[in-house]
Amino acid sequence: MKKIFFILLSSAFFGIIAASFFSCTKTITPSLNTASPQLIIQGVVSDTAGPYYVSIVNSVGFYADNSYPGVSGATVTITDSTSGLRDVLTETATGLYVTHSLVQGIYAHTYLLNVSLNGKTYTASSTMPQPVLLDSVSFDTTSDSKRFRAQANYQDPKGVVNFYKYSLVINGVADARFQTFEDRLSDGRYIQDKIDADTSEIKRNDVVRLSLVGTDKKVYTYLSEAENIAYNNSSLAAPATPTSNISGGCLGYFSAQTVSSKTGTVK
Amino acid sequence: MVQNKSLLFLLTFLLPLALWAQPKHNFSVSGTVKDVKTGETLSGATIGFLEHPGLGVVTNSYGFYSITIPEGTYSMVISFSGYAADTIVLDLKQNIVLNKSMSASNSQLQEVVVTSRRSNNILKTPPGLQRITMEDIKNVPVLFGEKDVLKTMQLLPGIKSAGDGKAGFFVRGGGADQNLILLDEATVYNASHLLGFFSVFNSDAIKDISIYKGGMPANYGGRLASVEDIKMKDGNDQKFQASGGIGLIASRLNLEGPIVKDKGSFIISARRTYVDAFTGLASDTNIKHSTLYFYDINLKANYKLNEKNRVFLSGYFGKDVMNIQSGNGIDWGNSTATLRWNHIFNDRLFSNTSLIYSNYNYNTQFTSNANNIRVSSAITDYHFKQDFSYYLNPRNKFDIGLDVNYHVTQPGQAVASATSKYNNVTLQKKYALESAIYASHEWSPTTKLKFTYGLRLTALTVLGPDSVYTYDNAANILSTTWYSGGKIIKTYLNPEPRFAASYQLDGNTSIKLAYDRNVQNIHLLNNSTSTSPTNVYLPTSNIVQPEIADQVSAGYYSNFHHRAYEFSSEIYYKTMQNQIDYKNGAELIGNNNVESQLLFGKGRGYGWENYIKKKSGRLTGWVSYTLSKTERQIVGINNGSWYPAPQDQTHNFSIVGIYQYNKKWIFSATWVYNTGNATTWPSAKFPVDGVPVYYYSSRNAYRLPAYHRLDLGATVITKKTAKYEGSWTFSIYNAYGHDNPYTITFQKDPNNPTKTQVQQTTLFKMVPSITYNFKF
Repeated sequence: MKKIFFILLSSAFFGIIAASFFSCTKTITPSLNTASPQLIIQGVVSDTAGPYYVSIVNSVGFYADNSYPGVSGATVTITDSTSGLRDVLTETATGLYVTHSLVQGIYAHTYLLNVSLNGKTYTASSTMPQPVLLDSVSFDTTSDSKRFRAQANYQDPKGVVNFYKYSLVINGVADARFQTFEDRLSDGRYIQDKIDADTSEIKRNDVVRLSLVGTDKKVYTYLSEAENIAYNNSSLAAPATPTSNISGGCLGYFSAQTVSSKTGTVK
Repeated sequence: MVQNKSLLFLLTFLLPLALWAQPKHNFSVSGTVKDVKTGETLSGATIGFLEHPGLGVVTNSYGFYSITIPEGTYSMVISFSGYAADTIVLDLKQNIVLNKSMSASNSQLQEVVVTSRRSNNILKTPPGLQRITMEDIKNVPVLFGEKDVLKTMQLLPGIKSAGDGKAGFFVRGGGADQNLILLDEATVYNASHLLGFFSVFNSDAIKDISIYKGGMPANYGGRLASVEDIKMKDGNDQKFQASGGIGLIASRLNLEGPIVKDKGSFIISARRTYVDAFTGLASDTNIKHSTLYFYDINLKANYKLNEKNRVFLSGYFGKDVMNIQSGNGIDWGNSTATLRWNHIFNDRLFSNTSLIYSNYNYNTQFTSNANNIRVSSAITDYHFKQDFSYYLNPRNKFDIGLDVNYHVTQPGQAVASATSKYNNVTLQKKYALESAIYASHEWSPTTKLKFTYGLRLTALTVLGPDSVYTYDNAANILSTTWYSGGKIIKTYLNPEPRFAASYQLDGNTSIKLAYDRNVQNIHLLNNSTSTSPTNVYLPTSNIVQPEIADQVSAGYYSNFHHRAYEFSSEIYYKTMQNQIDYKNGAELIGNNNVESQLLFGKGRGYGWENYIKKKSGRLTGWVSYTLSKTERQIVGINNGSWYPAPQDQTHNFSIVGIYQYNKKWIFSATWVYNTGNATTWPSAKFPVDGVPVYYYSSRNAYRLPAYHRLDLGATVITKKTAKYEGSWTFSIYNAYGHDNPYTITFQKDPNNPTKTQVQQTTLFKMVPSITYNFKF
């Protein structure tokens, strides 16, 4: 009944310290309120070829399925305020809006998102940071484990404040996990960062595409807070909803970002 | 200027004292009260006179007393809880020094049953004070059988545990960092071993603990909620003695003896755990190669130079080490040292001078692939204290003193390897000088009425070298000013008035009233529920204001059934200013601008505490019940409205029972119950890059399930002779295996990615332990 369990105390800085104690874990179903549906807008423009998408969905209760109803009928525009190009997006599926004239984002340009829905307007602005290139993706296959983690290898530019997000595509399927990193304590270092996959199931012969995404500060704040809530909520004294970079009273983010990807096969 | 003003203030304050007319032919009797067997001084012993019931004094923390009365013949009675009272006929025609050694009342069963022990009368203790001796905690069952004064203390009303596997405790709505924990006057910053499973106080080395929940005397200061004043034993000055215990996960050894009989003694007390002996058996390789232990050492020596001078040197050193395979680990520890000099100027004037050093530090090591970094942080106090006590007459006692404490904080230093992804970082050290003067007067206008009032004046000076920043609401730096070494950045001056009154209604009942203000200048930053020892301490600065608490409390106390029982019922109301909270996603580690991550607000708490204790007979123990509310109001949280603090436990209930079955066997049981802590749980979920993330509508709007637990213990004395004592202690922690949550995790269901689930982890269910204790 009792099993030796591994409790991880993780902290942004020193990583993982562990202690072993006698403990046990069970699933419980405490009664939870369901808040009135919250609007979530998520959209990106990047320095890789479009088209780009903006999705609009509503939140659901904690015990509902992980599928979120799309929200139709919004007027969505993205404007390149540096060049003046304005793109009105069209809805291709329920809650999914796509660009037409905006075919590729440009470094240092500022993009504006404007969403009108049911008489309310939501706006955001994001400036594409300087691209940082990923050198390679590698896998530490020396451990005796049968599951591996991908590692991102790249040079952080010195004297520039950078915010990163990592994402993985494993055997052609986008992995439902992201990881964030900032160079606050790492400016100018050569970065070798291990990336967690959703199921921690990268196996031999898997083909893994790792993307290094560069974002601006507000997007990073939203993503890192969301990451902390998703994976670390039990150790937060006061978990709080992430701070969106979209104003008007919704959740989600709008990011003008850079993407650098490498693909590798686990040998 | 500031100093002149305070001096003037002090003079005006003390002036009435000088005007006290003194009758002629008064003589004083003074001395030290000790235990006859061990030579340990007894603090809190009562000195009274048969001729003048109600008139009396108590010995101070060094066992010293002084009482001045008109000449005459008296029957002087010295009494102390658990000791046989002594009556001495005194023909007072001159000043007399009378040192007294008392014998513990025979603890043989028959005696215990028939005589009710002389209580240290709750009618007379200051309001809000509770004193625990090692005798009191000896038979209370605890986790892993390590008797622990801080754990047992949490069974008293108004003192709440943080829960299984969590360090810290909460007193009357205060935070875990708002308790002033003193070991021989030195501040202990982190009082827990192994993430809170044990306290750092080895019961072998401890004489007693005084807990103030309110009405703190003016000589204490620096924390808002409570004072835990822990005194180390002085060591047996009569004969050499060894004692110890061998347990499943920890062993202890204690050596004490005279340096020169009746003049000086020493004590050395050490213990170490060996939890990692068991982790080696684990199948998980990460656990198998981990280390996990702590050790601590208490040292003390004292020497009586002559009748008027005595010196004490005490020290504590402890460390916790946790390492898992591949070089990830953390170690942390406290060290303290206190050098004290007791000087008796004359029969009425007692002085103590202390030089105190206190340090807390931690180091963490993180190795992953090529990434290698070592982070350390520390806080160090250099502390000077001077206290005078003047015993004018049995109705008047004055205390006056000076306190200078220099705090040096190293918030963080990181050293990384060449291939690490991190840079070397050294955060700016923080320097602060905390100084205080105080004066206090104990005045008994009648035998039934007693006032203790005083004032403590605290000055906090923030010193350079440091960069001083100002920030806007978005945490951007508005300005930076550099102050070089020794330059004063800012000074805060705060008066802390203290007042306590007690009135004895009749021989068995009394009422008490207290008001106190406390100021706190060292703040703990921690935004995680885990009891990570990597806490950041921050002194008051240009942005962080001194925290201030005001408390009013009142109580009713009674002894009944021939003093076999005592009962108390207290109420309190407390307000707190400049409380600290954190912005969402606050970066507290490795951040020179950590102050930009903070939010400030108010706190309030009120409660009703009830306590009934049975002190004699085969069955002893107590029942405690607290009804309370603790709230916070922070700008930027819950739209600025009041919300429950995490430690807000509406009902808190404990029962402790100890049953002396016969001369060999003692059985004990403890049951605790409390309302679950306030907590923040999600009210919806939404996707971020396909990952379910949770939506929180308000802070601390949910409750953890109620906490309850039964602990059982039994002690059997296998051998008891004059030369050797041996006993076995058995205990079961959480005997009926209730699932008390340690963590509650909201996560994606690993077996069904279309769902999310809630996981509860429980740490301890039915944990047995066996310890063998010996003494020779």
